[in-house]
Amino acid sequence: MSPEQVLHDQLAALQSFLAVGAVLFGVGLIGFLSRRNMIVMFLSAEMMLQGVSLSLVAWGRYRHDLGGQMLVIFIIAVAACEAAIALALVLMLFERKGNLDIAKWQELRESNQPPFEEEWQPPEDKEEPPQWPHLPPAGVLPESVSQKEFYRRKV
Amino acid sequence: MSASQAILPLGTALAAVGIWWLLPGSGMRRRTLGGVLAVIGFGFLGALVPAVSNWFTSGVFHAVAGATIVAAVATISFRNPVYCAIWFGMTLTGTAGLFLLAGAEFLAVATLVVYAGAILVTFLFVLMLAAPEGHAYYDRHSWEAMISAFTGAVLVGILTMMIGSAMLKAEAVQASGPAPTLAEPSVPAAAQPAPYTISRLGAELFTRYLVAVEVAGTLLFAALVGAAVIVTQGRAAMKASAVTREGDAVHVS
Repeated sequence: MSPEQVLHDQLAALQSFLAVGAVLFGVGLIGFLSRRNMIVMFLSAEMMLQGVSLSLVAWGRYRHDLGGQMLVIFIIAVAACEAAIALALVLMLFERKGNLDIAKWQELRESNQPPFEEEWQPPEDKEEPPQWPHLPPAGVLPESVSQKEFYRRKV
Repeated sequence: MSASQAILPLGTALAAVGIWWLLPGSGMRRRTLGGVLAVIGFGFLGALVPAVSNWFTSGVFHAVAGATIVAAVATISFRNPVYCAIWFGMTLTGTAGLFLLAGAEFLAVATLVVYAGAILVTFLFVLMLAAPEGHAYYDRHSWEAMISAFTGAVLVGILTMMIGSAMLKAEAVQASGPAPTLAEPSVPAAAQPAPYTISRLGAELFTRYLVAVEVAGTLLFAALVGAAVIVTQGRAAMKASAVTREGDAVHVS
């Protein structure tokens, strides 16, 4: 392969890895902004870390430098710390409010912000009596088989 | 060039609309349509990625990257958080595959072992501990799904555009003149050192980055103590506040 071809391949590989990293980061961002479950928000944050790690590894490969991989090793270590702390916090927040909804903690917002109002109310559980279908009698009337004859009373 | 310039915004916008409709809070038909749109949008983005000359490498990369992105979108769009966690495990597996393709074998294994093996299992453990039965109402609704989807899409679009233009610039510089700083690895392959071996990684980690390793170890220790303190102290505070509330009630009555 010619040097130009090698360079083009390396650049193409770098570009594709960076694109995947960017997409992972973006998807994680969307999840973090839009989901309301604290644990799913945290999963999205971890996904953003994955995107960054991918970019770092790609750059390290392109420049033939181990620094990128080193940084990712430390990212994994820090992510483990973060997971331990955050899961302990989430567990405590859950025990305080009884669910994982981040909107339950809206009193922590800025004092000049309007409160979040839930537009959607959980539906009330209405126990409606089941409506059984009425089948019209059809077909040939079976010959009358008396239950007394059919089943033995005693063994 | 103009075609690819048009494809990039189109693909990002389609993917954004798809993710918006896939997020919890929309009906079944919109979700299906959103899935189709997201696949088309990400397909456009994937078509923009330049192919390397080895078709096998290219194919494997596209397959693994596609699986990773599909799993990532599924992670944020499923309503049941347990499914979200399992799809996140799939994303991690895909990322480990991409690490492997990039020549980072140690990181691939570490991602699987540490992330998918330990962190994800802890997530599932907390979910099982905390999740109420069935689908909770807050899992069925998103905050401002449209705005956040388009925010993410704009970010991805800008990043991708930057990557593309940087690559074009590097190629132009390479064609016109001497090796630029971006094109450092254009030294002949024989002259380069063996790119990545795990022994080289380990040697570097415990010589050049030794202080960082110690700091990371201290950080892990602090996090362990912190997690224990948060849980025990928080429980104690809750118990104390419950006792005072009971006392107030008795006093009032």
